[in-house]
Amino acid sequence: MSDVPPSSGKQEAWHPQGFSAPKADGQTNEDAWQFSHKGVAALSDGASISFDSASWARILVRQYARDPCFDDAWLAAALQEFAALHDRESLSWVQQGAFDRGSFASLLGVRRWGARVEVLAIGDSIAVLCDADRVAATFPYESPEQFDQRPLLLSTNPTQNAFLAERDAKRDFTVAWDIGLLADPSVLCVSDALGHWIISHRNDEPSPIAGLRDLKTRRAFARFVAHERAAGDLRRDDTTMLACWGC
Amino acid sequence: MPYSTEISRDHPTALIFVIDQSESMVEPLAGGRAKAEFVADVLNKTLYTLVTNCSKAEGVRRYFDIGVLSYFGDSVADGFGRAINGHSLICPITDVADAPLRVEERTRKADDGTGGVIEQKVKFPVWFEPKAVGRTPMRAGLTRAAEIVAEWCDTHPQSYPPTILHVTDGESTDGDPQDVADTMRQLHTADGNALLFNLHVSAQGAQEVVFAREEGGLADEYARMLFRMSSPLPPHLAGLAGDRGYSVANGARGFIFNASPQLIVDFFEIGTRPRLISADR
Repeated sequence: MSDVPPSSGKQEAWHPQGFSAPKADGQTNEDAWQFSHKGVAALSDGASISFDSASWARILVRQYARDPCFDDAWLAAALQEFAALHDRESLSWVQQGAFDRGSFASLLGVRRWGARVEVLAIGDSIAVLCDADRVAATFPYESPEQFDQRPLLLSTNPTQNAFLAERDAKRDFTVAWDIGLLADPSVLCVSDALGHWIISHRNDEPSPIAGLRDLKTRRAFARFVAHERAAGDLRRDDTTMLACWGC
Repeated sequence: MPYSTEISRDHPTALIFVIDQSESMVEPLAGGRAKAEFVADVLNKTLYTLVTNCSKAEGVRRYFDIGVLSYFGDSVADGFGRAINGHSLICPITDVADAPLRVEERTRKADDGTGGVIEQKVKFPVWFEPKAVGRTPMRAGLTRAAEIVAEWCDTHPQSYPPTILHVTDGESTDGDPQDVADTMRQLHTADGNALLFNLHVSAQGAQEVVFAREEGGLADEYARMLFRMSSPLPPHLAGLAGDRGYSVANGARGFIFNASPQLIVDFFEIGTRPRLISADR
């Protein structure tokens, strides 16, 4: 799906369904998601091996839902909010070392303007555009192999965010989809385990999207995740889906 | 495919450091610091990095078991300073985190988040003290390491195999260690043979040999022996070395001769970077 020019339409309200399952019972779920009634949805997947990625992920999605204009000032405000959570000097050497190394998380933000859906994706959380049960486009990854790369993630350690300055943000981290061209469009935001599963099965019959569409409750989502993990088809990781069916 | 098991709390791996602390380690490296001091500092930083990389706000996760052995005089010692009898010479990284000898306060330069640089105080733990005493009982040191590796492989058959980083600056004084090294490299888990990497530290500005592939071009029999004692680098570690700018041919070994200070740092960093399971990255 090609890039489309900015729409002059107003930002559309939408009401995604959100479900999430931790990597294992009793473990902290480091995925976070949020949506606003102004047509903005955000998902963040905190990297397990980092100091406090759950808090970092929550800060990122809250801020994106409030203000979806990601830039240097946006990131600085998020960093400031995270820094206020911890008193570095009072941490033990272990905690201080981990704090200094940084906490890491993806950020996937989606907003709708009329028939245009704009996606910001930093890291390995995936936006999926569907037309009925067909996968029409995915971003930023398109093949299962891409999930084996080390993803670029937003960090609470500013030196680890240098990649943002080295890249063309519009080209590398954003895409716009024209859903007006589709008969029955839906948009999913998913963390990497489910993104890998969808892209790996995108051409299967029956469509993986049809199965996801049937998941109406948290319990049904948890059963699906448990079943696919047991079958060895879904990576054991925090698993989240924000779905805007029939948007 | 060997060396493909991802490291997790269910399947930790082992890192064993074997450090020469013989008298010649008192000699200065290029830059002026004694070899023993510099190596101890790099080892402490490596342990610090390993611990903090395994740490979250709520605690340290056990991805590694760690052993540190030193040899000097007529002795092999536990590098953590404990009496060698009555306890295992390898312990979970969670125990390492709990027991530094002391925590020093150091300063370093850090990004202030707005493009500037600030001086920042850092709490820095010390586990391993520099020492340079007597002869070089390399054979005894590696034998002890092999015993640890054998026992660990028996109890962790599904894990990524142990990595042994051996640092020395001189020839063995208690016999030829090659057969011990050969035996150690044959020890294995289901994921492959134990990896023995050898680093020779040079006091002089002698010609460095980095990740050699053949022994033909090496200067003397001692260098050739250390080459033969070294495991080939698995592809993911060769890739890491390549990312750091080293030219690593297919089949190159984890072997560095006449290492400068920067090479010592890189050797430790490359050798201690096995892969964590994706869910834990």
